[in-house]
Amino acid sequence: MDSKKYELEINSAKNLVELSELEIKFLGRNGLINDLLSKIKDIPNDEKREYGQKVNELKTEIKKYIEIKKLNVSKQISEEFFDKTMPGKAYPKGSLHIVSLAIEEITKIFEKIGFIRVSYPEVDWEYGAFESLNMPANHPARDDVETSFIDVLAHSTLGKMVLTPHTSNGQNREMKRVGKPPIRMINISKCYRPNWDTTHTPMFHQFEGLCVDKEISIVNLKGTLDYFAEKYFGAGTKTRLRPHHFQFTEPSFEVDISCNNCQGTAKINGVKCKVCKSGWLELGGTGMVHPNVLKEGGIDPSTSSGWAFGFGIERVIMMKYGLDDIRNYYSGDIRFLEQF
Amino acid sequence: MNIKITYNWLLEYLDTDATPHEMQKYLSLCGPSVESVEKIGDDYVFDIEITSNRIDTASVIGIAQEAQAILPMFGKKAKLKLNPLVNLKFDQIKPGSGFDLKVDIKNPDLVSRFTSLIFDQVQIGDSPKFIQGRLRLAGVKVINNVVDISNYLMITLGQPIHMFDYDKISNHHMIVRESKKGEKLVTLDEKEITLPGGDIVIEDGSGKLIDLCGIMGGLNSAIGPKTKRVLLFVQTYNKSKIRKTTMTTGQRTIAATFFEKGLDEERVVATTVNVTQLLEKYCHAKVVSRINDIYPKKKDKKLLVMGYEIFEKKIGVKIPEKTINDILTNLGFSITDDPNQGLTLPEGQTLHITVPSFRVNDINIPEDIIEEVARVYGYHNIPSVLQPATYVSQPKDMEDLFVFQNRIKIFLKHLGLNEVINYSMISKGMIEDGGLKVEEHLRLSNSISEDIEYLRISLLPSLKKNIKENQGKKDVLRLFEIAKVYLPKKGDLPNEVYKVGIATNTDFSDLKGIIEAIYKELNIHNLSVPEIIERDGVFLAELDFQSLINNCQLMPKYKPLHPYAIIKLDKTFEIQPQTTYAVVRQKAFKSELLQKIEVVTLYQNKLTLRFYYSSPDRNITEDEAKTELAKL
Repeated sequence: MDSKKYELEINSAKNLVELSELEIKFLGRNGLINDLLSKIKDIPNDEKREYGQKVNELKTEIKKYIEIKKLNVSKQISEEFFDKTMPGKAYPKGSLHIVSLAIEEITKIFEKIGFIRVSYPEVDWEYGAFESLNMPANHPARDDVETSFIDVLAHSTLGKMVLTPHTSNGQNREMKRVGKPPIRMINISKCYRPNWDTTHTPMFHQFEGLCVDKEISIVNLKGTLDYFAEKYFGAGTKTRLRPHHFQFTEPSFEVDISCNNCQGTAKINGVKCKVCKSGWLELGGTGMVHPNVLKEGGIDPSTSSGWAFGFGIERVIMMKYGLDDIRNYYSGDIRFLEQF
Repeated sequence: MNIKITYNWLLEYLDTDATPHEMQKYLSLCGPSVESVEKIGDDYVFDIEITSNRIDTASVIGIAQEAQAILPMFGKKAKLKLNPLVNLKFDQIKPGSGFDLKVDIKNPDLVSRFTSLIFDQVQIGDSPKFIQGRLRLAGVKVINNVVDISNYLMITLGQPIHMFDYDKISNHHMIVRESKKGEKLVTLDEKEITLPGGDIVIEDGSGKLIDLCGIMGGLNSAIGPKTKRVLLFVQTYNKSKIRKTTMTTGQRTIAATFFEKGLDEERVVATTVNVTQLLEKYCHAKVVSRINDIYPKKKDKKLLVMGYEIFEKKIGVKIPEKTINDILTNLGFSITDDPNQGLTLPEGQTLHITVPSFRVNDINIPEDIIEEVARVYGYHNIPSVLQPATYVSQPKDMEDLFVFQNRIKIFLKHLGLNEVINYSMISKGMIEDGGLKVEEHLRLSNSISEDIEYLRISLLPSLKKNIKENQGKKDVLRLFEIAKVYLPKKGDLPNEVYKVGIATNTDFSDLKGIIEAIYKELNIHNLSVPEIIERDGVFLAELDFQSLINNCQLMPKYKPLHPYAIIKLDKTFEIQPQTTYAVVRQKAFKSELLQKIEVVTLYQNKLTLRFYYSSPDRNITEDEAKTELAKL
């Protein structure tokens, strides 16, 4: 049991891998030392004690040689030139869709002021898309909302089957689900309209806010829009309401937000701002819920009031990040997707 | 719809010190949206968006009325002068004689007011320069004095006018009736229109149609260069009928966009008088008939009664009562029933509001009045305060949907996958390529492209297309989508079910590994991996989202730590259809001592597995482990 020959063998190891192989060979469960120890049964009884001591000494020696060699090998490595500017190990980096990111961001902004996100059908009857929103059949206001129809028999009372052209079909459903106010809803969903050009895709996303309670006034709608604009578009963003007309709200407004590119001045270094032209960007439609819409949802308009809005997700992304070729969103092009 | 009017045109009816740009700014903030103002020559052209409820503002006089209410709120002078709607009355026309028109209205619901007048000695020629100039600025084609005058007054007053050649109407007889299905008529634009039936038309008594009412006149009765006698027509029609006809025939004329929104019967008077004045002045026309005014159901005055306190409740801020009264009167409303009494209501008393005739379609409920006051008062003057916080419980199933979608999306992103969002509609070709049945899909009846004709029942056709279209852009493609599919139900809305679709261009094991990783992430043990499809080098799989939620464990099952030894043993198997990994695994786990199995290597059909044996309550011997392994 001469430790010298093992010392030689250990010292001849060229690197840590070879060294760890030797460690297993000598000290492992089926290694040299265990092998020697298992042979103790063949040793005459009066020699067993001495034999055991020798094996243990050998084990200590081998351990020592390995430790010394390990240190030396490590030193060698550190003395070699190591290029710390090389990239580290590559880990996979996937991506989420820009619309998913925006949906998450918007949901969180509204969660903080007590709004719950809901999920309602994307395929609905005309009743949900129109009649329940104070838009009777053959009303000219329906012209403003182009609609995709499904090729099935119409429902006897609820009308034709449509792809929802807006998230507002969630209003009536949420009123009926909740039964009585308060309502604090944020409905985010795919919407569909038969338009397909450089600025329209046949599918897009909207987020719809609905707030119904005992005493909700225009003041509260303005408060919520200001809150959202500051949180989503950044501190200092202003909102502006302009009169408009929608059947499902009264009064109705269009909301603009101040342009962050030119700080609402419409000019950058004396040149007209390319983003907004006027200092303002149009966000979308909003208003105080029409009494007929409340009634249709089973809510008494004499004791409750509310506000609602419906904005395009793609639109707010465009306004915030300037990602203006909306067709890329749904082209599935990896060069677009992997950037987010 | 949009209309174009000019600043000078407006100044004929409005006395104001506001500049064109001030007008644009203030009107847009409180009333109609003036999208642009452009200086042309010595005039300014406003391009104004008219919402469908405010057809009364699609005119110079309508905008002047709005300006009268809005501009003073910004400290500008604005007062209507020469308001033709008030000043012009039928008695200003001196009736003539010698000619007449016999009119039969078959159904009084078709025409709410029918007014006509006949002129002789009409001299067709050019209209005066100011009319031509303004029409051009308004984007209207200049034709001749008679036609130009009717267009000019349509824009001034918002009431379309039609003129016939009186001599082309045989027997001077008109029957106003509903069309029969399939009846034909050639309109002024020389298009032959086949009528769907139920449209408002005029027949001359011989069965010949001469007018598609409210939309376009018939070619057979049109004004021409030789016209001497003109039949003037100022009418208001049943708006639903006009709308149906303009939609079904595709004749979307300017007149139709007015009539389909419902016009003010009272405005017919001012229009008839004004057009008569202009025809006399610029075409040397002589009135040669009485005024034929058929107005069977004169509308009652519309009155709304409400309290002042509701304004504060709905707007959220107190607006002085005098301001409310001023705003409403400037818009043409009168407060109290008696206009001569003026504003005599003491503070706090109930408000009696008479709606002007041109707003009766639009103003129905107190909220409509609140909007009028709030917008003119100025939304920018209303404070901004969040509503009081309140707790609304989110249904668990909806919460799960969003929490898990987010969890899975973020997990897959970190695994290195790219999220894609595809259209919910796909083409017939994609369905067939995916081995699915076209008839099991809902179809769009008015799809704008065959690429998006059917609602998906699987995400895989779209994902396969994504991989194929990205070939060459990146070597390794791993895409996923979480979206609804739409499973048809008979006589009901489809079942909208979320799926997780995954597609790669790598290999079977890569995709299976991704799915297993999802299961591990969600602590799912009892769900088998769905079928993995390989099609044209694309590997595809689809998971049911709800069953992921149902089988997920928020926390993995905890196993107490123990100090006892783990015995690792390797064994190599020859795999074949009867002895697959799954078979070996299933048998191996019959042993209570087995903790886990790892794949060490697979070389050809030689599969080396590593088995980990231990017990939580004692040290087991190697022999015990070997005995367990030997059972395989």
